[in-house]
Amino acid sequence: MEIRADLAAAQARAWQLMGQPGTWWTGAERVAIAAETRHSRSCALCTARRAVVSPAMVAGDHDSLNQLPGTAIEAIHRIVADPGRIGETWFRTLGAAGLSDEHYVELVAIVAVTVTVDTFRAAAGLEPWTLPPVQPGDPTRHRPRKLTEGIAWVPVLLPDDRSPEDPDLYLDSQVPRPRGAANIHLALSLVPDAMTHWWDLDEPMYLNAAQMANYLVQHRAISNAQIEMVAARVAALNQCTY
Amino acid sequence: MGVDQEDELLAFADAAVNGEQSELASARQLVVDSLGVDAMVDAAAIIAGFNGITRIADATGIPVEPRKLAETEEWRAALGIDRFMAGKT
Repeated sequence: MEIRADLAAAQARAWQLMGQPGTWWTGAERVAIAAETRHSRSCALCTARRAVVSPAMVAGDHDSLNQLPGTAIEAIHRIVADPGRIGETWFRTLGAAGLSDEHYVELVAIVAVTVTVDTFRAAAGLEPWTLPPVQPGDPTRHRPRKLTEGIAWVPVLLPDDRSPEDPDLYLDSQVPRPRGAANIHLALSLVPDAMTHWWDLDEPMYLNAAQMANYLVQHRAISNAQIEMVAARVAALNQCTY
Repeated sequence: MGVDQEDELLAFADAAVNGEQSELASARQLVVDSLGVDAMVDAAAIIAGFNGITRIADATGIPVEPRKLAETEEWRAALGIDRFMAGKT
C-alpha cells in the first residue's frame, strides 16, 4: 500500500520528535507519556468510569505503567478514554495537585500525536510503530513572555504577542505556510513547540489553512464533502463540542 | 441529498474509533472496494487526525469562536451537540 509521501513523512517526523527532549518533559518522559497513552486503553477503571453518568462516581486506581507522576497518569487516561466529558473542574484539580499548565499542554500534544498515529495505522491495516528511541538532553523550559488568560483553561499566545524568541508558530513550520489563529490553533500555544509538533502532523492528515480556504478544489482522494462528513462523525463519537 | 459512499465511510469511521479488529477490517475493505486504496488512506488520515484534535480541544477547554457559535446555534441544537456540554465535569 502506498501512502502519500507528505503524510508518511509528517507521521514519521512527529513520532521521532516524541523521543527528543521537549519544552517541559525529557525525552524519556515524553516516550513514557506515549507508552501510558497506549497502555491506558485497557484500563479497567477508565472502562468503569465511561459507563456511568459521571466519571467522578467511580473511585480507584488506574492500571498504569507507573513511570509518570499520578497527575500525569490521570490526565492521560482521561484524555484517552473520556475526552468529551472533560470539564474545567477536573482540569483545575490536576493543577492543584501539582501538574503545571505547561507540562499539561505538552502532555496533551503527545497524547494526541500518539492517538492519531496509532489510529491511522490501525485504520489503514498497518502494524503499530514501536515507540521512538529516547534522545538525551534537557527540556528547554521556554515559556512565551506575553500570554493571554481566559480564552481557554490554559494561557495562550496570540499571534501579535509573539516575541523574537518565540517560534513563528502561526506562519513557519517545516514548510512555511499560513496557519490561522482560529481558537483551535491557540489551544497548545502556551508551549509553541508542542503546537508545532501537532500542526505539522495534522495538516497533511487533514488540510492546511490554504487548502481549507480553497473549497472548490479537491485536495485528497476523497471529496471535501466526504472529508467533512467523516470529520464530523469522529467529533460526534468523541462528543467534542468545538 | 447524501454524500457519495456515505455508509461505507461512516462505518469505517465508527470501526476505527470504537470497533473491534474484525469489524475494522471489513469496514476498511468496503471503502477500498468502493473508493480505492488512496481514498481509504486519506479517510483513515482524516479519522485519525480528528481522533487526536478533538482531544486537544476538549482537554484545553478551547471554545468555539463567538461568531461561529452564533452562526451554528440552530443546527447545533438540532443535532444535539449542545447536549454534550451537560456531561462535562
